[in-house]
Amino acid sequence: MSFWKYLFNLEERRNWYLRKKPEGPLRDYYEVPFPPMDADWKQVDYLALDFETTGLDQKRDEILSVGYTTIRGQSIYLGDATHLLTKPTGAIPESSAVVHGILDDQASEAMGIKEALPILLDALAGKAMLAHHAAIEYNFLSNACKRIYGYPFISPVVDTLALEVRQFRSRNESIKRGDLRLANARDRYGLPRYPAHNALTDAVAAGELFLAQAVYHQGKRSPTLKDLTVIS
Amino acid sequence: MEIELLEIRDFLASHHPFDQLSESALSALPEKLQMRYYRRDSAIPDSGSLDSFLYIVRTGAVELASDDELIARLGEGDVLGYRTSSLANISELHGTAIEDTLIYQLPAAEVDKLCNQHTQLAYFFGPVGGDRLRDAISQSAKESNSQLNLMTTPVKDLLSRRRPIGMPPTTTIQETAAAMSEERVSSILITEGDKLLGIVTDRDLCRRVVAEGLDYNTPAEEIMTRDPSTVEEDDYAFAAQLYMARHNIHHLPVVKNGKVTNMLTATDLTKHQTTSAVYLVGDIYKQRDIERMKEVAAKIPDLLVNLAAAEATADSAGHVITSVTDAITTRLLQLAEEKLGPPPVPYAWVAAGSQARNEQTARSDQDNCLVMDDGYDPDLHGNYFKALAQFVCDGLNACGYVYCPGEMMAITDQWRQPLKTWKQYFNKWIDQPEPKALMLVCVFLDMRCVGGEMSLFRELRSHMLNRTRGNRLFLAHMAGNALSHQPPLGFFRNFVLIRGGDHDQTFDMKHTGIVPIVDLTRVYTLAAGSEAVNTLDRLEVVAEGGEVSADGATDLRDALEFISDLRIQHQARLIKKGERADNFMSPDELSHFERSHLKDAFSVVRTMQNVLSQRYQR
Repeated sequence: MSFWKYLFNLEERRNWYLRKKPEGPLRDYYEVPFPPMDADWKQVDYLALDFETTGLDQKRDEILSVGYTTIRGQSIYLGDATHLLTKPTGAIPESSAVVHGILDDQASEAMGIKEALPILLDALAGKAMLAHHAAIEYNFLSNACKRIYGYPFISPVVDTLALEVRQFRSRNESIKRGDLRLANARDRYGLPRYPAHNALTDAVAAGELFLAQAVYHQGKRSPTLKDLTVIS
Repeated sequence: MEIELLEIRDFLASHHPFDQLSESALSALPEKLQMRYYRRDSAIPDSGSLDSFLYIVRTGAVELASDDELIARLGEGDVLGYRTSSLANISELHGTAIEDTLIYQLPAAEVDKLCNQHTQLAYFFGPVGGDRLRDAISQSAKESNSQLNLMTTPVKDLLSRRRPIGMPPTTTIQETAAAMSEERVSSILITEGDKLLGIVTDRDLCRRVVAEGLDYNTPAEEIMTRDPSTVEEDDYAFAAQLYMARHNIHHLPVVKNGKVTNMLTATDLTKHQTTSAVYLVGDIYKQRDIERMKEVAAKIPDLLVNLAAAEATADSAGHVITSVTDAITTRLLQLAEEKLGPPPVPYAWVAAGSQARNEQTARSDQDNCLVMDDGYDPDLHGNYFKALAQFVCDGLNACGYVYCPGEMMAITDQWRQPLKTWKQYFNKWIDQPEPKALMLVCVFLDMRCVGGEMSLFRELRSHMLNRTRGNRLFLAHMAGNALSHQPPLGFFRNFVLIRGGDHDQTFDMKHTGIVPIVDLTRVYTLAAGSEAVNTLDRLEVVAEGGEVSADGATDLRDALEFISDLRIQHQARLIKKGERADNFMSPDELSHFERSHLKDAFSVVRTMQNVLSQRYQR
């Protein structure tokens, strides 16, 4: 996180990083313009994304799996759905293995984050990133980019958790513990129960939640991308 | 790269028609899907045509409507879109999410591809709901090794094991007749060595000998039919039957390798079609008292079980079972006349309701009436006909055709009247229709003469039909009646089940399944003034006459066949368990496949009810 975001808009910062000429995949990513913030939300392409990680410390913990799928024109395209297992450098702590179910054996057959990042960045190019509690995915991704390519990752970010908070605020309802969890938020929109903690299932789940939130967006006009993004 | 969309795969795997797909086809399906979320009250699709996708409801509920007319309500696991607009009679369909709805959308091109690779899917997505149903019926017909199906049965499967009797051409007529009587056969082959010269049948003896006053010592070759037609062992029984009917003959020598091996008689064919019914009917005519007839009638449930086991269509089962009822009625009339003496004036015994329509199943009430000649004088003849009606109705009751709860029987004085009174009844019902009264007498709008003087009945029938034909006021009332029974399809295209009581969690196959079809078909038939009584016959007639679209009639026929077939299977199951046959089916008795098709059948009925209401009630 830096103060630059308060001085320059996303597109200016994208050009800034592009001029820094980061290494291949990240430069390729920055070469594609971001979707315009004033575009109608239906005109924007999104990548619904979820990571499973060894823990929540973005400095030390590592990405174990990446799941994502494309949302375009109000539809989730499962044809683009992808699930990547990434090999951590250390052993997988038991505390996280019980959550995501990824064991050392499986992870050892996976690709390294170096191989996974170009695939993910290619999928993200020209899209808005979408996740539930997006700060985790955003920061893990940005740290990985800094480590490998020397520069951070930026993109327009839609956070379904933040959108849900706005829903509660606009209805003047207080938020109780657990209300904002993905499964409980989905319940409120009549979305089905999925088993949690598979990166791809969670990505699809967040994507569906987003489609529901978007059609329930309060306001007279259809929301723009700016209306749905958090500052990043 | 590995796609883990198991939840979606599993969801599809548990819903028809995707449950028909192989594991590998199922696993490849999720990645072809697009997911959409539709807020309550929003249109599905919000742009473009409903046909561009197959929409699979994941959660929520969708209504499908055409010109504000509700066509269907769909819930979780139901599908819509894809070729929907090819439904007959429906101009433009639009969907509306009536709850927040998550939908899996499969592009039409992908469905086309799947249909090409998987015939089961092609069946399901046949262009019209009715077609789909048709396939379900033909599929089960194909699977059955139907003993009743003459179309696929070779002649050799029908033959009795007895060799035909051959005699030389010089045999006298007297000798051939003696041989027939002795061997209890109805025909003799005239042969010379292995060569077939001719055939002599019992009819020849009557027509060419007795009637002509021929000398009994004349050689048989003078009266035989020369070079008779023959049939090959492997020919289809159906072809043989057609041939017999066309040439009005009852005997066909069966040939194998140019040699006569056997004799196919008309009786072989009928026996085969109605296996035990023929014996039952034969038995009935031999009985002299009601106690014995009761014993024969008690076999009717077994007959139904046999028919169900042989996968007889509901239509043929209805005809077979009704033929037994007709035989019992006729026999009772004979016995009554023997007891009471010949009728003082001519009468017609008229069956009404399901017996008239040839649509009876294991247990039916009796519905009948008596029409006497106008020479009837209540003071002189009243007692005779009262006793006759009492005898027959009591007999029917004893045989299991219980008294009609609505007293629509010849023992009710009102329904035992001379022709002129009956004509007045119909005048009143038809010209001044009252909803309640019509509901009651509806049963008499299906009539068939079972015994007595046919001409009396014919006159009454044409009197009635002349008045109903094109009579809009009467038909509007009948249409109202026909809409009083609705198919048991609920809000979410689920079955609406009876709650509580003896029939908890079931639906009534008769009143909510079959009766609506019978009722609405009757309206069209009366509108056309047609004499047809059997519902399938009626549908054929009204489709030809244009009262109903050909597609509509075909869809209704298939819906009726499908529902009736399920009912027969249900009743056969109960009888086999030693229980009494009824019309209350639990959805649990049905496979997912049958449930899905039954919903289709009910949707057809609902659509056709809407068409009827538009036609006669506006």
